Amino acid sequence: MKKLLDIAAKVSDQAEVFSIRSDDSSLEMRNGKPTDVSASIQSGYALRILRNGRIGTAYTKNLLDREELVSNAMDSLKGKVEAGFSFPEPSDLPASWLPDESVSGMGFHDLHSRSRKALDYLKRKVEGQIDVYSGREVQDTAIMNTSGLDVSRKSAFMYVYTSLPFPNTETGVHKFYQSRKPGDFPESELDKLVDLYTAGLPEVDIPTGRMKVVFTPDTMYTILWRLSVATTGKSFYNKVSPLQGKRGERILSEKFTLYGDPTDTEEIDQRFFDDEGVPTKKHTIFEEGVFKNLILNLDYADKLSEEPTGTGYRGGMWGGETVSLAPGPSLNCSRVAPGNVSFEDMIKGIDRGVLVFGVLGAHSGNILNGDFSVGLNPGFYVENGVIKGRVKDGMVAGNVYDVLKNIVSIENRLHDSTSGGKYPSILLDDVSVAAK
Amino acid sequence: MLDRLRSMISGVEVDFIDIRYEIKTETGIGFAGREIKSVGSNRTDGYVIRVGKKGGFSSATVTKEEDVPRAIQLAVEGAETIISTGGKRSALADVPVVRKTVELVLEGDPRKISIDDKIELTRKYNDLMLEQPQIETTNLGYAEVGREKHYVNSEGTAVSEEILTTNISGEVIAKRGSLVQNIRVSIGGADGYNKLLNREDVFLKRAQIAGQLLDADPVKGGTYNVILSPMLAGVFTHEAFGHFSEADIIEDNPSLREKMSLGEKLGSDEITIVADSTMNNQIGYYVYDDEGVAVKPVTLMDRGVLTGRLHSRRTASAFGEPVSGHTVAEDMRFEPIVRMGTIYIKPGERSLDDLIAELGDGLYLIDGKGGQTSGENFTFGAQYGFKVKDGRLGPMIRDINIMGNLFSTLQNIEAIGNDMELSERGGCGKGQLNIKSALGAPHILVRNMVVGGA
Repeated sequence: MKKLLDIAAKVSDQAEVFSIRSDDSSLEMRNGKPTDVSASIQSGYALRILRNGRIGTAYTKNLLDREELVSNAMDSLKGKVEAGFSFPEPSDLPASWLPDESVSGMGFHDLHSRSRKALDYLKRKVEGQIDVYSGREVQDTAIMNTSGLDVSRKSAFMYVYTSLPFPNTETGVHKFYQSRKPGDFPESELDKLVDLYTAGLPEVDIPTGRMKVVFTPDTMYTILWRLSVATTGKSFYNKVSPLQGKRGERILSEKFTLYGDPTDTEEIDQRFFDDEGVPTKKHTIFEEGVFKNLILNLDYADKLSEEPTGTGYRGGMWGGETVSLAPGPSLNCSRVAPGNVSFEDMIKGIDRGVLVFGVLGAHSGNILNGDFSVGLNPGFYVENGVIKGRVKDGMVAGNVYDVLKNIVSIENRLHDSTSGGKYPSILLDDVSVAAK
Repeated sequence: MLDRLRSMISGVEVDFIDIRYEIKTETGIGFAGREIKSVGSNRTDGYVIRVGKKGGFSSATVTKEEDVPRAIQLAVEGAETIISTGGKRSALADVPVVRKTVELVLEGDPRKISIDDKIELTRKYNDLMLEQPQIETTNLGYAEVGREKHYVNSEGTAVSEEILTTNISGEVIAKRGSLVQNIRVSIGGADGYNKLLNREDVFLKRAQIAGQLLDADPVKGGTYNVILSPMLAGVFTHEAFGHFSEADIIEDNPSLREKMSLGEKLGSDEITIVADSTMNNQIGYYVYDDEGVAVKPVTLMDRGVLTGRLHSRRTASAFGEPVSGHTVAEDMRFEPIVRMGTIYIKPGERSLDDLIAELGDGLYLIDGKGGQTSGENFTFGAQYGFKVKDGRLGPMIRDINIMGNLFSTLQNIEAIGNDMELSERGGCGKGQLNIKSALGAPHILVRNMVVGGA
């Protein structure tokens, strides 16, 4: 990295090298037996150079020729992409925790035994198909720049994902467990999964109409995706956010607080700098319904004359190769603040409504405008506080700025979601549900 | 290269081993509004190893050549783990040994076009959209992706093939007050740069539609009879039916596998669906898949009867059905999985006017805005549409998402149009992205679809 930075520094005003190396293994058990085992060892390097107020970028996964990479970045400068920002200087960062080496050492047999444990437990309680997926991910990330920044981090975690598809379908309920240390899926959570599965076994027809709707943690991304897009620096700079000019105003119910906090000690992927080397911190977007802050990377912080927010990440909506993606504004490690009711009490308070456990089509529709229209996959119908079964062919639709004004209650506990954040369930009133 | 790959896997004590080495090149240009946001050309590479041992099958991917021995070791361990833990036993269907190099055929080689010319072409289309009334901004990009693939296996097959896709795509955004509407736009293909030239009409039309959407009504949720445009019918074909025709999707779900038995009458008499990546001049074209098998056309459904399936060598053996050459990876970071390539509904005999008259009352829904499936359930968005009353087009509508069940929808397809369109850009996400997924159809009339409105 240092050699590459030195070469790049000679031809630029400023330069930055980002590197990543990952070592992942996974094991799939579908319908009760191992069906796929795979491993991946990947690396990558991304170079950004600034010269005369313009930026050049280049990447490779395999750093065979440093001069070629610098030359590609120089060619990229010819595109005359303007950049008024500077790469950050070093700052005092808390000492990163060191990953548990035993996660790095987890082999296929260890993954299998932990999957098997969850499978055997579920088998004693459920008839029908059981799928279990497990894996471990180990990652090293480093950033160096010509402002003197030299930071690196290691992360390692393992996960087990259990899924119970309903008979004759691929639609089901699931639970996710992840840990920084090798661990087993808690049986209490597996019991909850079994309860959900049992409650959802009957298929019910429901009427089209407006009713209460609960977005559970794994479907919260449907709502947060729309809020995130509207609150990025990019949407504000291009003047297409529906929240333009509304900073400081109460937009949503005062029950709703949204923030990101990569420094959270509970965070599986705890980190103290973003993918541009800017220190991370708790960053609040909505506080008690009031729109407080934008999500910015270095580029849009500069363009909007704001301070960087430590939310510049190399990631994409559809995954993608980390080093090939430019750092963009993104609220990582997001949280919706918990409320004051248990999930069980939340259900008891529903006269007529739908619990959304999975959605299809969260990426469709007019996301920027806040509109969503998602298929229930599955959704459970509740009448007078009792789950009647899973909905046959239903959709939930609305606009986040409307439905988040009508929050009835928020669960008092946060759960890890498969989309990366920690969220409670959230009960909304008067939401449109379409059904056959 | 092929000799080097051969030496890397020689002497490994397994029943089957293959290795794929890829060099991937990417050129990208991105505009956000009038501002150019990114320009770059990059080159990278990597290896994918697959191993079969005593019925166990496993894979490993690595970036660096020095890690190839470790990848082989991991893949062997993976295969052994599957067997020692009572996992799924796999075999590979027999295929001919192939030694072939496939040359790239292009009408206009984008690699010979300067980056300045590519920027100017993209800027021209971008500016055209920005000049239209009500348009606030755009996100438009040029993308050129090349894959130089070299494949060798322990049976003696050695194939090199190069593929190159180009597109200019993105979205145009209209805004009035706090109402924001967007429309997607895309041109491109796998047969050269010329396909990107002289396409002003496409960008102009998309910008005009985005502006008109500001005056459209949100659709009201409910159950409707609908006409789907070719691109939207194509999304249905790909998302709902096509993925179920990929053998690896249903392989480990016994009940779905039974439902999708060949010979079952699953659709109405009107519908015939074909997967054909051998048609050139379209985005899904290739000659050999990523396990060295020549791709073949497959009639998946013939007048409502399930007649074929898409396979890898492993799934073909598991199902006892013919290989089809549909095992494709996104790039060198992934093991190949069963993918569609080009899929479409065969045209029928009715004109669009006939279909609208036949519909009577309902909705005419146009162009896809993303789709997703889970088993037999699917949801996909339409970019815009029109109400239809008494067989006549009414006002424009927006915010349209459709949900359905594959099997009931196949039965509810009542009429097929005589037109046909194939997408110019791919982008199917099934764990990995397939930029070479082409989809298409004529207009189709479907009864009883659930439409989620705002």
